[in-house]
Amino acid sequence: MEDFIDERARYGLQIMLSVGFDDALVSTEAVTSDELSIAHNEASLLRSTEQHSIALTGIVGGRKASTELTDLSDENIRAAASRLLQDAQSAPVDTANAVSEAQSGRVERGPLTSDADMLALKAQELLDFRANEAQQFQMEEASASHMRVLSKILTSRGSDINENRGWYSLGVMGTARDGEASSSLNYTGGAANALDEAHAADYFGIRTMMHETIAQTHPKGLDEKFSGEVILTPHAACDFLYWLLGQLSDVQLISGSSLYRDSVGAEIAASILSIRSHFDAPGVSATSADAFTVHPVHLLDKGVLNCLLPSQYGSLKTGIAHVPVSNGWEIDAGETALEDMVSGVEHGALVGRLSMGAPAANGDFSGVIKNSFLLRHGQQANALAEVMITGNMAKMLKAITAISRERLDTGSLVMPWIRIPGVVFS
Amino acid sequence: MSAVHDLKPQQFYAETRQHEVHKMRMMMVDGNLTTNARTTESGVSARALRDGYWGFAAAPVADAATLQRVENKAMSNADAMSRFGKRNALSLPSATHIGEQVFEGRSPWTPKQCNELLSELHEWCKSTFPQLRSTRFILHDEKHIKHLKNSLGSDVISRIDRAAVYMMMIAEGDDGAPIELMEILSCRGSIADLELTVDALKPKLHTLYDHLQAKRHAVPARAGTQQVIIAPELAGMLAHEAMGHPCEADLVLGGSVAGDLVGKKIASDKITMIDYAHSQNGQSLMIPVIADDEGTPSRDAVLIENGVLRQFMGSRETAAKLGIENSGSARAYAPADEPLVRMRNTAILPGSDKLNDMIADIEDGYLLLKTGNGQADSTTEFMFGISLGYEIRNGQLGPAIRDTTVSGSALKVLSAVDAVSDDMHWECNGYCGKKQPMIVSLGGPALRTRLHMGGE
Repeated sequence: MEDFIDERARYGLQIMLSVGFDDALVSTEAVTSDELSIAHNEASLLRSTEQHSIALTGIVGGRKASTELTDLSDENIRAAASRLLQDAQSAPVDTANAVSEAQSGRVERGPLTSDADMLALKAQELLDFRANEAQQFQMEEASASHMRVLSKILTSRGSDINENRGWYSLGVMGTARDGEASSSLNYTGGAANALDEAHAADYFGIRTMMHETIAQTHPKGLDEKFSGEVILTPHAACDFLYWLLGQLSDVQLISGSSLYRDSVGAEIAASILSIRSHFDAPGVSATSADAFTVHPVHLLDKGVLNCLLPSQYGSLKTGIAHVPVSNGWEIDAGETALEDMVSGVEHGALVGRLSMGAPAANGDFSGVIKNSFLLRHGQQANALAEVMITGNMAKMLKAITAISRERLDTGSLVMPWIRIPGVVFS
Repeated sequence: MSAVHDLKPQQFYAETRQHEVHKMRMMMVDGNLTTNARTTESGVSARALRDGYWGFAAAPVADAATLQRVENKAMSNADAMSRFGKRNALSLPSATHIGEQVFEGRSPWTPKQCNELLSELHEWCKSTFPQLRSTRFILHDEKHIKHLKNSLGSDVISRIDRAAVYMMMIAEGDDGAPIELMEILSCRGSIADLELTVDALKPKLHTLYDHLQAKRHAVPARAGTQQVIIAPELAGMLAHEAMGHPCEADLVLGGSVAGDLVGKKIASDKITMIDYAHSQNGQSLMIPVIADDEGTPSRDAVLIENGVLRQFMGSRETAAKLGIENSGSARAYAPADEPLVRMRNTAILPGSDKLNDMIADIEDGYLLLKTGNGQADSTTEFMFGISLGYEIRNGQLGPAIRDTTVSGSALKVLSAVDAVSDDMHWECNGYCGKKQPMIVSLGGPALRTRLHMGGE
């Protein structure tokens, strides 16, 4: 398959240039997956899929267009390239259109073949764990899977990148029931290079999630509105990370709506917060979406913003330095034990997950806290239902008072628990 | 679409599907065409149920040899599941459908036409509204064509076409921070089937700009339980997220609270909610599903009738497990996806109240007009982001409110409905997420009720 993917990419590039494009980027990909699914507490489905595709991007006279197709025949690629040339010719001229130049790489990462026995063993471990230690948890959906991605990227400017990545995944989603009482839906999962290093329930916080969900079967609302503290679990903290990454990326930078456009070198978060890339994580590509090899990025160093994250296009559009990124990130561990973080909260909540729309352009948000517990006098109290918190993402990043020593590693993300005061509960 | 072949009746259930997805997406940010992409995805899949276990396989090539390989793999995958022990074989509902769905929309626009519209919209907004900090316009359409055959005798060619245009304006609020607002138009068909000329869009763009100006001086909502009017655009979201998902049979099997409530009063008498298969009052809806991706003829599912929970949406397997009539709601999004229970066209039906009267009767509350997204879980607890709303004081509209979130239990919120407007709004933009994405349509009238608002 690797030869086929390589040959199709070379053919695609040759055709793109022969139909008249000045520059072209061609990427081919072959993806195979095996997924063993559990539905409603029982093994249910074994799913095997093969997919392949070719993506063509062409630039002619500063005008750009892209297409992607799954029929990789000569005839289809030729026809697609010809149509694409017409598409590009009708687009506006934009001098920021460009393709990557002289990038090279050959990455081989993770388990490249699927072990069907391993998938079955892990699915059985999840079923046994539920049956023996978490019977109230209704496993609505769970899976053990393996995925392999073979890819080839070529550009007319000499970039030539091969990747061959494989990884395993586990995921569990469900609710806990006690008679007619029910918890909210809860879930966790992640990717790993191997699944034989621990019991399935000990990957990605699955054991804790299922036990905590059972403890959320009889949640209560709040008696009154108050201002207090949150301890964001790793899943809830992801919302803050993704909001920040969005603020530093193309659309917000080009439109001028980023809060951090002029903040490189400035302290935009508490000095205990550091964020860095995790591009060598299981399942994560070593290549950016615009075909640049990625290198480690220390995004936030003790609260100070080190760089913005425009693509090549965003960089040429705004004049901001190009920083190629992929999708793996980690927040550095802090110095406070999670237990001590909880014991220090007089009135607040341990927030399992935030259910909310996209924060406003200025960072304002309000969201329902799901899978969460009231914290009172340093103790974890009852689970919460129908409780909302209100705050501002940018202000909350500055207000962080503690980051846990413990972190949850779900593969592409490694996240701690984060304590923030001054949040309105209602 | 000819690779799928007849499957002979056997001791097990099997289906094959040939599936093509065509998509177009163009985005212009401040006159820069940042996305100009068209994609085509195609492939074949097979699914088999043997001795109570499912096997599924898919490949991107649709020739006869590949289809045979995929069928064999699906079968061997089902057999491989026997390692989990004996499972009771289900007797699946056996309804079948034979037919081809046809849609005759306007000729699709060329990329040149799309580019011209985007540029004209940008230039018109720039000259008409010079105070705007930024504009974004997105054109998006997608077409799904599927040929399904199964061992029961179904032979269905189906197609779904939908289009949407997103128009976003960004301005500066009183505090200098950016504020934004978006208008979305959607329809069955391609971009060509929307009325997209600058002249036709001017009234909507003026209205959007006026709302954005109001948001510049927005006040925070008061946190807590409030009396509100949910505009039709939000009522459809409420129908889909808050009561639609809990009434999907796979979620019922997974512990949704709706499972215990059939035949019980769960909402105001004024609430009737239906997941329509393909048409309403003889008119085709935006996402018409004549037969689902298991070859079952689709029928409407009356979820709530005058406040009483009636039915669930199901697939062959979930209907068999729950002992309910199968609504034909099994749908797969992409060629390599297996069918799951999904909504189609979900709506709360209109009532007899006038929106103006509903506002006039509120002493202290809010009118909620636009939402960004929504989520719900199996307890019926839901949330929507609110991107446009106004205070109501003594029956009059007051200042706009800042972006916020509303939440509640759908059971409580629908029980508290005391007025339902006599108009109706349908839309089909966005995706429903549930392992796979899915295109659905949502509809509803304005509702007056009480729910929880985030704020200060």
